[in-house]
Amino acid sequence: MSNVSLIIGREFNARVRKKSFIITTLLMPVLMLGLMVAPALIMEFSRGDEKRIAVIDESGLVAPELQDGDELSFETTDLSLEEARRELTDRFGVLFIGGDILANPNDVRLYANSTSSIVVESNITGQIERILEAEKLRGYNIENLSQILDEVKTSVSMQTFRNDKSQEEDSQAQSSIVATVLGYVLGFVLYMFLLIYGSMVMQSVIEEKNSRVLEVMVSSVRPFDLMLGKILGVALVAVVQILVWGVLICGIGGLVLPQLMPADVLAGAQAVQAGMPDAATVEGLNPEMLQAVAAMTDMGYVVKIFVCLLLFVFGGYLLYSAMFAAVGSAVDSVQDASQLQMPITLPIILALLMMLAVIKDPDSQLAFWFSVIPFTSPVVMMARIPYEIPWWEIVLSLAVLYASFVGMVWLASKIYRVGIFMYGKKPTFKELAKWIGYKY
Amino acid sequence: MDLLTVEHVVKQYARHKALDDVSLTIPRGSVYGLLGPNGAGKTTLIRIINRITAPDSGRVLFGDREIRPADVLRIGYLPEERGLYKKMKVGEQAIFFARLKGLSRREAVERLKQWFVKFGIEGWWDKKVEELSKGMAQKVQFIVTVLHEPELLIFDEPFSGFDPINANLLKEEIMALRDKGATIIFSTHNMASVEEICDHITLIDKSHNILSGRVDDIRRRHGSNIFEVAFRGEEDALRRAIEGRCEILEGAPEESAYRTLRLQVENDGEVRSVIAAVNEAVELRSFREIIPSMNDIFIRAVAGTL
Repeated sequence: MSNVSLIIGREFNARVRKKSFIITTLLMPVLMLGLMVAPALIMEFSRGDEKRIAVIDESGLVAPELQDGDELSFETTDLSLEEARRELTDRFGVLFIGGDILANPNDVRLYANSTSSIVVESNITGQIERILEAEKLRGYNIENLSQILDEVKTSVSMQTFRNDKSQEEDSQAQSSIVATVLGYVLGFVLYMFLLIYGSMVMQSVIEEKNSRVLEVMVSSVRPFDLMLGKILGVALVAVVQILVWGVLICGIGGLVLPQLMPADVLAGAQAVQAGMPDAATVEGLNPEMLQAVAAMTDMGYVVKIFVCLLLFVFGGYLLYSAMFAAVGSAVDSVQDASQLQMPITLPIILALLMMLAVIKDPDSQLAFWFSVIPFTSPVVMMARIPYEIPWWEIVLSLAVLYASFVGMVWLASKIYRVGIFMYGKKPTFKELAKWIGYKY
Repeated sequence: MDLLTVEHVVKQYARHKALDDVSLTIPRGSVYGLLGPNGAGKTTLIRIINRITAPDSGRVLFGDREIRPADVLRIGYLPEERGLYKKMKVGEQAIFFARLKGLSRREAVERLKQWFVKFGIEGWWDKKVEELSKGMAQKVQFIVTVLHEPELLIFDEPFSGFDPINANLLKEEIMALRDKGATIIFSTHNMASVEEICDHITLIDKSHNILSGRVDDIRRRHGSNIFEVAFRGEEDALRRAIEGRCEILEGAPEESAYRTLRLQVENDGEVRSVIAAVNEAVELRSFREIIPSMNDIFIRAVAGTL
């Protein structure tokens, strides 16, 4: 058995046997699902206090038509504006509407007794706009106006297909919303993995240096093997974690979800998967949700994303952890490392920012180039993959990523060799650069 | 037959020369002391022998050919700065290190069991290293160093951190390893232990090899013809008898059952006549040459007054 594989085995076992690893690995998917459900739950529970707004309507047009919503309720008052502002302090605020509101729609004021919010304001302006529009329409004296308006009201749900992929009719509908959300999630997962597992390598190097095990180790193995073994050992932990998550999510998607979903939702999702859903099966169901369920229960799609996730996590992690290892070797404590970490964490953060830009337009030049540059490609590319981008781009991105990993390991090992025997001083970037030139 | 030969090794670091044209030969089966003040270059030399770093010029021969990467499997190194993985269990960790040195798992377990029994630490197998005291961890470290039965053992300050009883136990084990044929390089500042266990030494100071050879030879060579005479009788008579033949070194004589005087005899030819004169004047109980201790030689060599 070679020394590298012995070291990989040690690093892997030391981490996987930890209780904290087992717990996070098993709980994370549950937590993620919880996070998806949480916003809905928070919405449900935060509705509690209703905001009451006193209305002074000098035009008499708006007040009767204002509708109470989940959060806002309106009540007209006969007080003058001054009196209302002075006395009705238990209300959320006083809404004043000018007498000539039709001609001068800007004559609307809200005197809030506490902080106002965009949600409240847009609710009020939206309602007033609707009322004024209706009022103006009525001025044209059209017969059966309300009936006509009801009949005219239409809701469109569009299904997007990739024409360049397949001209066949049964190709699966793609929802941009599903892809966007998935892109965000995957981009963030990549970002987290790079940072967490990368700094895990760094901490482990610092720990070895501090406990002086390094001195013992290097008398048996080459420093390069030691560094590579550590990087690969931790990588193996990451891969196992993703595999467990993949199995859990596939399991939930493929087995548990169909049991929980109402039959009509499932039938709709299957219709979406199969191609053109007919109006009867999907009637009354939210098309976005159908497509999300369809994507989650479509094994081919899920497996493809997980394979890409594995490849990009692995490659991106290798690249970054090599840099983290070099930094770890150069310092004596995690505190000292923060300054040297800057050039590592900056590209990761840049990648995250780029991801946010790219996800809006996944086929742009910007998106292409940042998913080729190895420092940003794992995060950016992963965010694009749900959009079904061409295979050659993925392959190119991976090739560049893995090639630059090899270069980075070579460079990092030079710094590592020198760094592990340096104690007691904080090196500068200039010194690190000099170490690369040292010969051993 | 030499096990290890270092030839004209030079190692330059960014600002200083750690080793400047250092040569030495280590005979097979010897206990070889590598001495020198802090920062003299001992650790660098040991790292070069261990192939942790490479020399800028010069070479290291293992047996009769240049040292190769695979030769580290035939070397055991106990660094001065000891270290084990704190969170790992003792047994598991020892197996890990043994396998890095090329032992199979089965072999490693077998030998470890024997060593654990020998040191009376069978109960530690499943303990984590962080639960052990410093001295206990050092014992484990020693076992890890010698487990693969290397031909060359390098100990850097092996006794630091041990109580006298365990230091003695360790010394006996080291001697037993030598008797089994291992060659031992022993880097230390502790001159008493050098006299006790080393048969050869090299003294490195300021990156140079300033003194090499057999311990006995060196001590004899650096004797300065000082003799101690123990006697019974009149001191004045003695002083009169040897006046002119040699110099009497004043100073408090050592506590002993007899009166003693220290004499410096200028040349070897006169030793016999001095003894004869002493014998005439007083009742001579002993007459011995004072051979300098390694400690004296070390200090004088480093100070440049040897």
